[in-house]
Amino acid sequence: MGSAYILSQIVNGVILGSMYALIAIGFTMIYGIVRLINFAHGDIFTMGAFTTLASLALIGLPFPVALVVVVLTGALFGVVIERIAFRPMRGAPQVTGFIASLAVAIILENLLVMTISAQPRVFLVPEYLNRLVSTGVITIRVIDLAIVALAIVLMIALVFFVHFTKVGIAMRATAENYDVARLMGINIDRMIMLAFAIGSGLAAVSGLMWGSKYGQISPFMGLLPGLKAFVAAVIGGVGSIPGAVVGGYVLGLSEVLFVGLLPPEYSGYRNAFVFGALIVVLLVMPNGLLGRNTETRA
Amino acid sequence: MLRIEDVHVRRGGTHALRGISMTVNAGEIVALIGANGAGKTTTLATISGLLRPESGTLSYARCAEAAPIDIGRMRAEQIVQAGISHCPEGRQVFAALSVTENLRIGAYLRHDRAAIDADIADLQTQFPILRTRANVPGDRLSGGEQMMLVIGRALISRPKLLLLDEPSLGLAPQLVEQIFDILERLRREGMTILLVEQNAAMALDIADRAYVLEAGKIVLEGTGKDLAGNADVQRAYLGAA
Repeated sequence: MGSAYILSQIVNGVILGSMYALIAIGFTMIYGIVRLINFAHGDIFTMGAFTTLASLALIGLPFPVALVVVVLTGALFGVVIERIAFRPMRGAPQVTGFIASLAVAIILENLLVMTISAQPRVFLVPEYLNRLVSTGVITIRVIDLAIVALAIVLMIALVFFVHFTKVGIAMRATAENYDVARLMGINIDRMIMLAFAIGSGLAAVSGLMWGSKYGQISPFMGLLPGLKAFVAAVIGGVGSIPGAVVGGYVLGLSEVLFVGLLPPEYSGYRNAFVFGALIVVLLVMPNGLLGRNTETRA
Repeated sequence: MLRIEDVHVRRGGTHALRGISMTVNAGEIVALIGANGAGKTTTLATISGLLRPESGTLSYARCAEAAPIDIGRMRAEQIVQAGISHCPEGRQVFAALSVTENLRIGAYLRHDRAAIDADIADLQTQFPILRTRANVPGDRLSGGEQMMLVIGRALISRPKLLLLDEPSLGLAPQLVEQIFDILERLRREGMTILLVEQNAAMALDIADRAYVLEAGKIVLEGTGKDLAGNADVQRAYLGAA
């Protein structure tokens, strides 16, 4: 086990973590503003992957244009789902929204199966993204670099938006208290819509990345990454955007290192390890790594 | 400025307001006093659009020349835009926002960036704590400081009518004095204030006029001085034997 091997495992962990983090941000934003555990979030990720495939293979869009299309359609999916499935449930007990989101998830998955079939599809990225870059110690593909760079740019942009723009501050105010936010003149419906749009757009981008990285997509591909991103959000402290980022990277890195550094016979326990880690973190830090104590508001 | 007529409000199965009528004239401080659960907070929430009246009218004119508008069917954000600012009960600073962000969010509907910055600087001069603790999360301030912050947050929308719910709640007596001094000063500067208070003695002392609310109905009204001298009010709200 040379240092190049370990380094390349770390790089893989960072790539996986970037994708988890982008999904986890949406989980945490949506939970933060409507207290909804959105089970359909992983399916937005799947939709993002299929939208990419359609844009590249069917329409023949250049990859950067496809990226923009994916962000926008992902955001649109999020907004439409919120309007149809979640807004009518607002004010209902938390479990009602949770079940509604499960219904949305099943509907989306079956729609994909019915229209496209359950067969996994090959997902090809343009040749220039598959080119290899050698840093001397390790060799990686251009797409791997692009995934990490894009994820970081998006996260920085989001942090800037949430902290330094008026609408971002209004969104945080809405997440804290609907009534007082309304007394400030904030249209809370619009803030909730925006949170769904941003969160879903990021999940869709993550789907694009996943397809580009692993070369294969299927209607059920969102299930495990969605669950793990949820774990990442909880580990980081649900409701906290920096927490989702930290949680995503911690999870991605530890998952890859668990598989990569332990003897091969343990690699089948990869998912058990992830969910076991969640239980341990919650036992030690019930609010997650960066979460605020929100017990009194739940 | 504000005229409420025969307003009924139901709140989760209870008939919280049973036909209240009241007026607030420009430049006045009007106090609304009453026991817990009498409907004081409900009245303010109905004016600011957080609750919908079941029947009755609420008409409001931002100045003498403006035509009165019916705010009973307007959304809360439209009512803020119309010039009514509501400081809710229990202060309710945004804990996740810094002190300055709390002020900025008060100016959410304004778009004159330079003037907002000037207004914030002005508030920071009036209440120096808002400057020295500008970047601290809102909930780290003491109760009195939070009260300054929410008054500032309400003023920064440049309201014509200020609704204040229990500003004295949980504050030490000298802080309460300070808050009431601020209200006096706001009135001198032309602000109109509708004040809900448990501390009836202080509220009646400062108010031009006052209403007494009991079980969702207005049972007495008059000048602050008249009500302070009223035997029933003294017995029920001023602690006289």
